[in-house]
Amino acid sequence: MRLLTVESLDVFYGDVQAVRNVSFTVDEGEVVTLIGANGAGKSTTLRALAGLLVPRAGRVVFDGQELAGRPANELASRGIVLVPEGRQLWPAMTVLENLRMGAYPKHARARADAILGEIFAMFPILERRVSQKAGTLSGGEQQMCAIGRGLMAQPRLLLLDEPALGLSPLLVREVFASLRAIRARGVTIVLVEQNVPHALALADRAYVLETGRVTLTGTASELLVDSRVRDGYLGYGSV
Amino acid sequence: MQDIAGVLVNSVISAALYATMAYGLAVIYGVMRIINLAHAGLMMLGAYATFSLFTRFGLDPFLSLLVVGPLFFLFGVVLYRLVVRRLPRSGATPSMESLLLLFGVWLVLQNFAYFIWTGDTQSILTAYTMKSVAVLGVRVGVPSLFVFAGSVLSLVFLNVVLKTTYLGKAIRAVTQNRDAALLAGVDADSISAVAFGLGTAFAGVAGGMLSTLYAFTPDFGRSFLLKAFCIIVLGGMESVTGVAAGALVLAFLENGLSAWTTLPTSFQDAVSFTLLFVTLVAFPQGLPGLFARLRTAFR
Ligand SMILES: Nc1ncnc2c1ncn2[C@@H]1O[C@H](COP(=O)(O)OP(=O)(O)O)[C@@H](O)[C@H]1O
Ligand SMILES: [Mg+2]
Repeated sequence: MRLLTVESLDVFYGDVQAVRNVSFTVDEGEVVTLIGANGAGKSTTLRALAGLLVPRAGRVVFDGQELAGRPANELASRGIVLVPEGRQLWPAMTVLENLRMGAYPKHARARADAILGEIFAMFPILERRVSQKAGTLSGGEQQMCAIGRGLMAQPRLLLLDEPALGLSPLLVREVFASLRAIRARGVTIVLVEQNVPHALALADRAYVLETGRVTLTGTASELLVDSRVRDGYLGYGSV
Repeated sequence: MQDIAGVLVNSVISAALYATMAYGLAVIYGVMRIINLAHAGLMMLGAYATFSLFTRFGLDPFLSLLVVGPLFFLFGVVLYRLVVRRLPRSGATPSMESLLLLFGVWLVLQNFAYFIWTGDTQSILTAYTMKSVAVLGVRVGVPSLFVFAGSVLSLVFLNVVLKTTYLGKAIRAVTQNRDAALLAGVDADSISAVAFGLGTAFAGVAGGMLSTLYAFTPDFGRSFLLKAFCIIVLGGMESVTGVAAGALVLAFLENGLSAWTTLPTSFQDAVSFTLLFVTLVAFPQGLPGLFARLRTAFR
């Protein structure tokens, strides 16, 4: 079933256009990845989907409803949850407070305790850090806390912006292992990631963004062997 | 000539009241990045509201805080919805528009007070106004003790709200990272209304308490706003301890100077101004330092 349809999305910063005529779709239970170089417009796309930016034109249909331009807090309550680039935790709140605030939407509060247990099972280190201020966590722990906070909202669509950015190879593996676990629970995911090999290994389908435009699309396995992707994005790292 | 115990006891008592005034400013700044210049006018209005409840209905000024607090909360919410929310959103530092607008609100409140209560000096005289009791061997006026209790209760109340309720956590979340709060489903506009209500309630309650200690006119409150700024510059607002420390330093200097020097009482207000000036000069970051500190309120 189609969960998200993005059609001809245009997003601007003032007069500068960052996203041009971007269209893509996401089915329920799918993992879709947006790949592209720095500045291609990946974060801007996600921020517009989450309601932090208002698109100038285009349609965003989520679960059959037109939602483009709705405020972020409303979209979060409807189940579109962004784990933003750079974690964006509340630094002076404890890990537990950060996680619990993730369940702020009314529909998420009832099952918050159960989800919290699952998050601790996925990231045992977080349970040991519950009363530590989030600002004092290491980069990897902060990322786990940010993902955990996103899960607390019980998302129907989880938007992840570079969850592996700045992490050591070991931690990158750990984060991707957790994403696999999240996907196994049936959460639909849109993943933005510079680590293209890892992203394509996880995803069902992928879209390549260049200077705000979608230039290439296909299944993850198709793109893994596509020469343009190989030359442009798979020049480093391996799965 | 007072001894050190006298100065210390009086300092702690004033410091609690000063912290109450400073927190009202910090809640609003944290959520909206605006300096509520109308804070002084709201304190003045709190004094008159308490005065009217006392003279019209014979309500004890400290009991009337239970009315003034909620009433000012609602007034703050209305003020936000009608006026403050129309401001363009402030960036890291308060916008010029917000300063001008809230200064204007202060003037309106002042003129409103002149209209209703005239410019005559008023004061509240209760059965216990002139009574005093011994605290640690120091004679302390009964109203001062009640003010101390009222301030501590207000601060405890605020901290319980901020630490334990979803609403309070949402206020802290918006303060610490606004975008992250929006992404978590927090409606920043409602939270701003609540924060402005809380800040206004704190101004009203502080003003109500001040009315039991000082005589007041519609111009009342200016020197106390300055004290609140001084505390923020001194101690920062990162924690309850920071506020308490800033409030204590100011209160100690004021009480000490009046006890141990021949400085006339009328010069007491100059203490906070001088302290503010010296601190700003000594801290090379100046006003941005003040803003940076306000920004981290309630972390
Ligand atoms: N806050 C902003 N203001 C103005 N321009 C921005 C802002 N954020 C990003 N941009 C510009 O928009 C374009 C897309 O950026 P972004 O979406 O962050 O790219 P990506 O996430 O793919 O690296 C870039 O040219 C970037 O410089
Ligand atoms: Mg980005």
